[in-house]
Amino acid sequence: MPIINFIIYLLTMIGIYSLLAMSLNFQVGFTGLINFGQVAFFCIGAYTSSLLVVNAGVPVVVAFLVAMALSGIFGYIMSIPTKSLKSDYWAIATLASGEIVRLVALNEAWLTAGPFGVMGIPQILKDLIPKDAYPVFYLLFVIACIIMVYIFLSMLTNSPFGRNLKAIRDEEELCLSLGKDTQKLKLQAMIVAGTVGGLAGSLFAFYIQFISPENFKPIETFLMWAMIIVGGRGNFKGAIIGAVVIQLFNVSTRFLGNYVPLGSDSMAALRMTIIGVLIILFLLFRPEGLIKEKKKVYD
Amino acid sequence: MLTIKNLEKRFGSLRALDDVSLEVEDDSIVGLIGPNGSGKTTLFNVVSGFYEKDGGEVYFKGERIDGLPPNKIAKKGLCRTFQVSKAPEKMTVLENMLLAAKRQLGENPFSALFMRPRVQKSEKANLDMALELLDMLQLSQLKNDYAGDLSGGQKKLLSLGRVFMLKPDMILLDEPTAGVNPTLRVQLMEAIRQLQKMERKAFFIIEHSMKVISNICDKVYVLNFGKKIAEGTPEEIQQNEQVLEAYLSGA
Repeated sequence: MPIINFIIYLLTMIGIYSLLAMSLNFQVGFTGLINFGQVAFFCIGAYTSSLLVVNAGVPVVVAFLVAMALSGIFGYIMSIPTKSLKSDYWAIATLASGEIVRLVALNEAWLTAGPFGVMGIPQILKDLIPKDAYPVFYLLFVIACIIMVYIFLSMLTNSPFGRNLKAIRDEEELCLSLGKDTQKLKLQAMIVAGTVGGLAGSLFAFYIQFISPENFKPIETFLMWAMIIVGGRGNFKGAIIGAVVIQLFNVSTRFLGNYVPLGSDSMAALRMTIIGVLIILFLLFRPEGLIKEKKKVYD
Repeated sequence: MLTIKNLEKRFGSLRALDDVSLEVEDDSIVGLIGPNGSGKTTLFNVVSGFYEKDGGEVYFKGERIDGLPPNKIAKKGLCRTFQVSKAPEKMTVLENMLLAAKRQLGENPFSALFMRPRVQKSEKANLDMALELLDMLQLSQLKNDYAGDLSGGQKKLLSLGRVFMLKPDMILLDEPTAGVNPTLRVQLMEAIRQLQKMERKAFFIIEHSMKVISNICDKVYVLNFGKKIAEGTPEEIQQNEQVLEAYLSGA
């Protein structure tokens, strides 16, 4: 039984990170926005929904929606400097915004309980689901969210809106010359991406039932980047496959420590080293990732 | 249609545009020529809002447009192409054309999600128009190729197609025929002529080929070292000694 429980845990974490990778792919792969602060959405989503439920007793559905809205608003705030910063400098700014969000969670103890984190986050619909079936139920819930987000984002990227985003990614000046308000489009893209990231954060908090600033370090952002580098940019299947590959590796090696004669510290370091090597290998030999961006063909 | 008054643009101590005044009248084709580095493209960049001016005024359809961002100027009906064609690498030729279409539905997330039937209908109409234009530009067989894979000349044609999709009132063309084969070049010029006659659009064209200029332009302005040194009909310009000197000393 423990092995089945572990597999369900693994799949659920893959699912949650798929959402984060899809959101990041929407920014990087479609709009060309190099966001190194993706974890901020994850963090805001997790803290908002869990604090609303734990401290304010807000219904879970409302808490999820508010969490998504707040992450979306944070996406809007993050997009403001794109007006004056070139993309590489904006990328540095996003790295900072990710850390700022985590540091606020760490230091504003009156709101977030600081380093102790938020404890006792209740399980959703706990009374209705038998205890044994709960992990499977939650996994199905996460999968349902993935399907919804997949459809939602695909509808957007296949629309004239998505076409404008791709054009910003490839040739921003051309977009301006065609009368597109690129600033506004980037802003809208960041709101969409933030909302999806907030959903992932809420799902994570109510799954783990305990969150602390430790969960939202910059390394999480780089795992999400590894997912879209391995999976491929400019399509959502790639993001999901990338999440599978990286999470499979990242989560399963955590438990391998018991069987490998290495200390847990060296295991953790080794894990990151191998992910780094994987990224380099992909950039060298398969820069487009496992799944290429699909060409949009009209007949 | 377009009135430029005492336009100035400096890059450091270099006067790229020095007190340039000119006018493009309604439904006319006006040429802009001059040696390399004389400020032609700079003039386009300032007029289309990509550069900030250092002095002077620009009016389009009687309205002052200097200081507006490029997308607002394009929305007002003044559109441009680039000397080095811009072609989104990972977008097909048809996507490029559809990208440019004017007043599209579904350009924001909300309408893209909730007005899909209407968006699809407008896409269909734009698609028909795009195919027709591609036919005229002889790009039909490349419609599903990535724009990044086109040759330089084909990119020039595509940028013309995109601008036509926008249906502007006035078009600034920066060397529209550079790299285009001679037969097609003639056809292109013919297409521009027809468009100007039928739809009464104004064109302002930077061009190096005197032949092209004298074939289609009603009026020509000549720039040298950022200054306007001559204006007149193509015949007058070809006789103008100052112009000949500028071109010969540069060559």
